[in-house]
Amino acid sequence: MTEKARHPDWIMVGTILMILILGVVMVYSSSSIWSEYKFDDPLYYAKRQILFAVFGLIGMYVFTNVSYHVWQKHAKWIVIVCAIFLVLVLVPGVGMVRGGARSWIGVGVFSIQPSEFMKLGLILFLARYLSLYQKNIQSFQKGFLPVLTIVFVPFIIIMLQPDLGTGVVLVGTSMTMVLVAGARLLHFSWIGLAGLLGFAALIISAPYRIKRITAFLNPWEDPLGSGFQIIQSLYAIGPGGLLGMGLGESMQKFFYLPEPQTDFIFAVLAEELGFIGGACVLILFFLLCWRGIRTAIHAPDLYGTLLALGIVGMITIQVMINVSVVTGLIPVTGITLPLISYGGSSLTLTLASLGILLNISRHTVR
Amino acid sequence: MKRVSLVTVRKRLVAVFLISMLLFAVIITRLGYVQFVLADELISKAESSWSRDITFEPERGSILDVTGDVLVGNQSAPTVMVVPRQVSNPEQTAKALADILNMSEDKALEHVTKQISIERIHPEGRKITEAQAQSIQSLGMDGVYVAKDSKRHYPNGEYLSHVLGFTGIDNQGLMGLEAFYDERLSGKQGELSFFADAKGKRMPDIADVYQPPEDGDDLRLTIDHRVQTIIERELDIAAEKYNPDSAIAIAVEPDTGRVVGMSSRPDFHPAQYQEVAADVYNRNLPVWSTYEPGSTFKIITLASALEEDLVDLNDDHFHDSGSIKVDGAKLHCWKGGGHGSQSYLEVVQNSCNPGFVQLGQRLGKEKLFSYIDDFGFGSKTGIDLEGEGTGIMFKPEQIGPVEQATTSFGQGVSVTPIQQVMAVAAAINGGYLYQPYILDAWLDPVTGDVIEENKPELKDRVISEETSKEVRHALESVVAQGTGKGAYVEGYRVGGKTGTAQKVGPDGQYMDNNYIVSFMGFAPADDPELVVYVAIDNPKGTVQFGGVVASPIVGAIMEDSLPALGVKPRKDGLEKEYAWPEEPLVEVPDLVGLSKKELQTYMVDLKVEVNGEGTEIIEQTPKAGVKVETGATVRIHLGN
Repeated sequence: MTEKARHPDWIMVGTILMILILGVVMVYSSSSIWSEYKFDDPLYYAKRQILFAVFGLIGMYVFTNVSYHVWQKHAKWIVIVCAIFLVLVLVPGVGMVRGGARSWIGVGVFSIQPSEFMKLGLILFLARYLSLYQKNIQSFQKGFLPVLTIVFVPFIIIMLQPDLGTGVVLVGTSMTMVLVAGARLLHFSWIGLAGLLGFAALIISAPYRIKRITAFLNPWEDPLGSGFQIIQSLYAIGPGGLLGMGLGESMQKFFYLPEPQTDFIFAVLAEELGFIGGACVLILFFLLCWRGIRTAIHAPDLYGTLLALGIVGMITIQVMINVSVVTGLIPVTGITLPLISYGGSSLTLTLASLGILLNISRHTVR
Repeated sequence: MKRVSLVTVRKRLVAVFLISMLLFAVIITRLGYVQFVLADELISKAESSWSRDITFEPERGSILDVTGDVLVGNQSAPTVMVVPRQVSNPEQTAKALADILNMSEDKALEHVTKQISIERIHPEGRKITEAQAQSIQSLGMDGVYVAKDSKRHYPNGEYLSHVLGFTGIDNQGLMGLEAFYDERLSGKQGELSFFADAKGKRMPDIADVYQPPEDGDDLRLTIDHRVQTIIERELDIAAEKYNPDSAIAIAVEPDTGRVVGMSSRPDFHPAQYQEVAADVYNRNLPVWSTYEPGSTFKIITLASALEEDLVDLNDDHFHDSGSIKVDGAKLHCWKGGGHGSQSYLEVVQNSCNPGFVQLGQRLGKEKLFSYIDDFGFGSKTGIDLEGEGTGIMFKPEQIGPVEQATTSFGQGVSVTPIQQVMAVAAAINGGYLYQPYILDAWLDPVTGDVIEENKPELKDRVISEETSKEVRHALESVVAQGTGKGAYVEGYRVGGKTGTAQKVGPDGQYMDNNYIVSFMGFAPADDPELVVYVAIDNPKGTVQFGGVVASPIVGAIMEDSLPALGVKPRKDGLEKEYAWPEEPLVEVPDLVGLSKKELQTYMVDLKVEVNGEGTEIIEQTPKAGVKVETGATVRIHLGN
């Protein structure tokens, strides 16, 4: 094990920058029409996204140079602060409702999504917790159950907003970490079963989710209601074909897709840049995933392994869910495409997380 | 507790990596599936969601008569459209529109401010006059447009209304020929398609697609306006004179089945059809109504008996005692006391019921009904008009000797006027049963060239030329010497048969003093060019006899129509017999002492003028036993 940190994983840095640049271009292209309509300024979203990107890149650079062990010490406090904000969001008057979910906190443009921070906070905490108590992980009562509880509490709070997408990413990321930490597969099959039952209960409790699921099976049954978003998304992707309609030539961004710069930005990308563009983005994310898991494998300690895995897992799961939703593979779940969708909290936090990942890559051993 | 080895961690990391690789592969495959396999379907759906169509209305085809005269045309009737987004001053615009279109300002404002890309002001702003359109255009208001539109124009008013039918506000055919041939008359809508954003704004830089409208074809009818005008005139006169419940006239070319004229009363103006009861415009009586035909049906019995060689009109004789007994039932002749001894030609001329019962018996049940079927009764003629009736025949198992006997002289069966006309046309044209039709040809609306021509359709050969000739001769003598003298036209050899049909009332019994009187005529008898049927339902203030009411109408129609159609007068026809010895004179019955109610059963052949008040007849002029002409007036005084 070397004490001196080496250079970060340049392939990963290159991949991140390519995705980021493509993202800023796509935010501009997809949002310009709505942006002009709402703010009389086609560059409104693009300018802000560039600002977020610069801010995020600074954060990434800083975190690349902060030893990831720093987070190990403060993980407990970080997760507690995140949890406080997460609970505050639920208080009417403090939390703000956007798009049907009470997920925002703050004033005007300076509003953040605490659930985004909670995802990273929980990863930091779990990496520390699992590396410290790895010896208990194969025991259900001493290892598995306490970890489940730690994950379950923020999950429930996020589901109260409600924000199914973020909740699923949170649980998915955590479970991947627990799996790699060495938990018994038998325990997973139990929670898998419990998860299925819980999922069923959630759907029964909130009828709008049922509608989303039926809409996904046949969106044309209710083209103006529950099937609206997926139909508009497919109307963008389908005509894209192999080469796309050309950058800036999307038809669906002309008010057909609501808010095309956020959750459904991949649809506009596939419309303008075609299958080639869409596949390139997915391959770039796969590259990121590969470099991330490679970093995890070569991390100098279990903490570094689990932290790297958590960060890359969070991003990869989010990409998979987002693209699956947009292409109609799974029911609509509100979730952004990391590094590409418009959004300050999401972008800065993702870049900061990647900074931590890059720092781990500087300490890898062969 | 066993410690988890680093090897396990690495193995699981590799597993996670492999699973993520698999999932990425699935997602890329799905992306390809949407962009390549689903693409075609999605593109067409997406394009229809992107494109906006402005429709252009085609011009509806005109309806012409056989000579090319316009029966139904189009008249410019613009429609006001508003594009609310472009209206700069909604209140002022609404006020101006309200003034010109005679609507309330609130309603106008509602249209002007509606959240819609294009709003049609319905109904006040539709089919407006040229003057209204001009005053709207002269104001030059933003977002207000006057679009070209048209409405049906009927140069002849009520003329031929039941046949022509009418259209609704969207120029869609609702009744008559307008409905029957709606598709071809309508033409095809044209459209201008352009891509628009989801807010309806036209996309720049994408070419529009313009599909011009295709105007509907012009419809030329077999109707001849010269004959139709005569028919309309005669029905108007009859309606004025007799105030009937209804009246029908049909003129058909017997050698083809072409309908030359058709009308009925009550009628209506097609542009104001809402002003009459639905029953009036819904029912085209010449093809819709069914009733017992009465004596005109005897032509069928006669033709069948002649075809089967069962009677010699000149040599065979029949004695009419005034009634005939069939299976225990006594069937009366219309003439009290009977016609005495007659040749069968005289039986036809006198329309003697017992004589026809005898002919029916000679034919036998099977033959009689088989001929009736062959002549087309009991099934629709297939004329290209809406709402044709079928009529009601006896079911074979219902036919006993009495039903057979009454059918022989036209009672107990129920038929439509058009069925009778076509059957008689077959009886006098050499035996050819044609399908009647009214569509002569489809014309190109621009060039007027014939696109498609309708041809006569022969359905059946019913009797021989020889038989047909005998029928013509017998029927010519009915007009010249018998009950149909009113239809006699000098030089045109009119043949025909009167009919006085009984009507079944709501109680299922025959009604008293309420008949459908009719006449079925054709001319010239040597080579018939026209068959004309007239039926007047319940004429008032007259003797209800076909010979009195209907045959002069047919005569008048023939007299004017035949020269108009260019039919040459004949020289060798039968002379009209002016002094028919028996029929015109009727003995006045003794009415004194009868109640007013009882009177009706006695006064079939005479008119009655009532004076005074009361329930009992105390005096009459002329006195009982005096012989007067049929249709003469008897004055009575009432008292108590």
